Amino acid sequence: MHRILWATALVGSCATAFAADPPPKSDQVVVPEVDRRDIGVPKFPSNDFEIGAFVGTYATQNFGTSAVGGVRLGYHITEDFFVEGVYAISKVSDTSFRQILPGGVFPEEKAKLSYYNVSFGYNVLPGEVFIGAKRAKPSQLYLIGGVGSTKFDEQRRPTYNVGFGFRVYLMDAVALQLDMRDHIYSLDLLGKRQSTQNLELTGGLTVNF
Amino acid sequence: MTTRHLKLIKIKHRAVAVALFAALFATLFAVTTARAADAVAPADAASAPISAPVSLATPARDGDAERLQITEPYLELRTGPGRGYPVFFVAGRDEWIAIELRRTDWYKVRTDGGKVGWVSRQQLESTLTAGGVRKSFRDILLDDYLTRRVQMGVAWGRFKSEPMLKLWSSYRLSETLSVEGTLGQVQGVFSGTDFWHINLLAEPWSDRRFSPFAGVGFGKFKNFPNLSLVGAETTDAKLAGAVIGVRYHLSDRFVLRADYSLYTAFVSDAHSAEYRAFTAGISFFF
Repeated sequence: MHRILWATALVGSCATAFAADPPPKSDQVVVPEVDRRDIGVPKFPSNDFEIGAFVGTYATQNFGTSAVGGVRLGYHITEDFFVEGVYAISKVSDTSFRQILPGGVFPEEKAKLSYYNVSFGYNVLPGEVFIGAKRAKPSQLYLIGGVGSTKFDEQRRPTYNVGFGFRVYLMDAVALQLDMRDHIYSLDLLGKRQSTQNLELTGGLTVNF
Repeated sequence: MTTRHLKLIKIKHRAVAVALFAALFATLFAVTTARAADAVAPADAASAPISAPVSLATPARDGDAERLQITEPYLELRTGPGRGYPVFFVAGRDEWIAIELRRTDWYKVRTDGGKVGWVSRQQLESTLTAGGVRKSFRDILLDDYLTRRVQMGVAWGRFKSEPMLKLWSSYRLSETLSVEGTLGQVQGVFSGTDFWHINLLAEPWSDRRFSPFAGVGFGKFKNFPNLSLVGAETTDAKLAGAVIGVRYHLSDRFVLRADYSLYTAFVSDAHSAEYRAFTAGISFFF
């Protein structure tokens, strides 16, 4: 109790001692008046990333064509280059084999084919398309190629893909994309291992964000 | 993180490395969400050019867009975000423009008179600096590339004489240290291998155009024999590896890379297999 009283007295005397000090003499004649202003930090949105979905046809060599659907995630590095990751699924049927051979090639009538890849694209011909007399939309014809993996009938195969596509920007953030790709991978489902080329044609919508 | 702080950190434990990998993904996520608003530092009067006191005026907010005052003699507004699109309007110095959107290196601006067009980043550089916009990842020139953080790349090569492809993503922790996550695929005649690993890379001379690097890491290794083989089994093993390589900076965004890796797969308690791999590839900075 006494210690607390002493401490308070000490602190109080110190405070009054400091408060009693006169303000230092200033040499300045003019006292600057700094105008405080609110610095707003400039921010603006960007939409280099894109996400989209597509549907189309996938022609599996030896087996026929089937519908394919997938999603796409991309990033535009510069106005000329972009990268894109794609994942898509299709169901391939071996009816053409079942008609000739009993049993067919797949365990069931339809086998699931899924693929994913990361591709690098080059906008070779950017430009504008004109719709009617009053509308001009930016467009890009691009070449694209990449690597990935295809899972077909429980077998996973590294896949290369090359292709080209066309993209029209309906608005700044929304684009229609038509894509033609050749997926190249080797398969040994029919006995001999051979490199197969599978063409795919898709159309889709992508949103830039 | 300064270099001094990093010397105190000893990466010994796997958990720490995993946490670093998680941080890499979290950063990629953060980059995705943060690029919506290019990060800026508060406008510092000392860093703005001295010759244009008028342009130090506070950037005003106009609805949703930021207004900046043009400091270049003129700005060419194009109809689209590309160097081939025609110039349809020219805005002069000291006019106010509002920046609405950025796509790659092009900015969509709106002048006070209502003209909306795209201006390239090089033309806008002085205006952006005067307006207090801190240089984002994209604006950094080759000299400042050390502040770029996130990189993604692809490489192709040979893994024990079989073709190999790998995709990797790296996050630069400091000027010389980076952490990298790799997904790889090897396709041989009789089997295929999938692996992933996380590496810690050291690049002592990262400010040179040709910079060598070395690293160590660990991961997982999965070997699938071809289904047409009879009686073959998949192998699942832990993987440890060391890598040395060299990077060549093509431009401020793209980097070429060649590396040589030594992998050890711990197939079982008594048996471990060693593999050598050589790859070359290209990567880009976000």
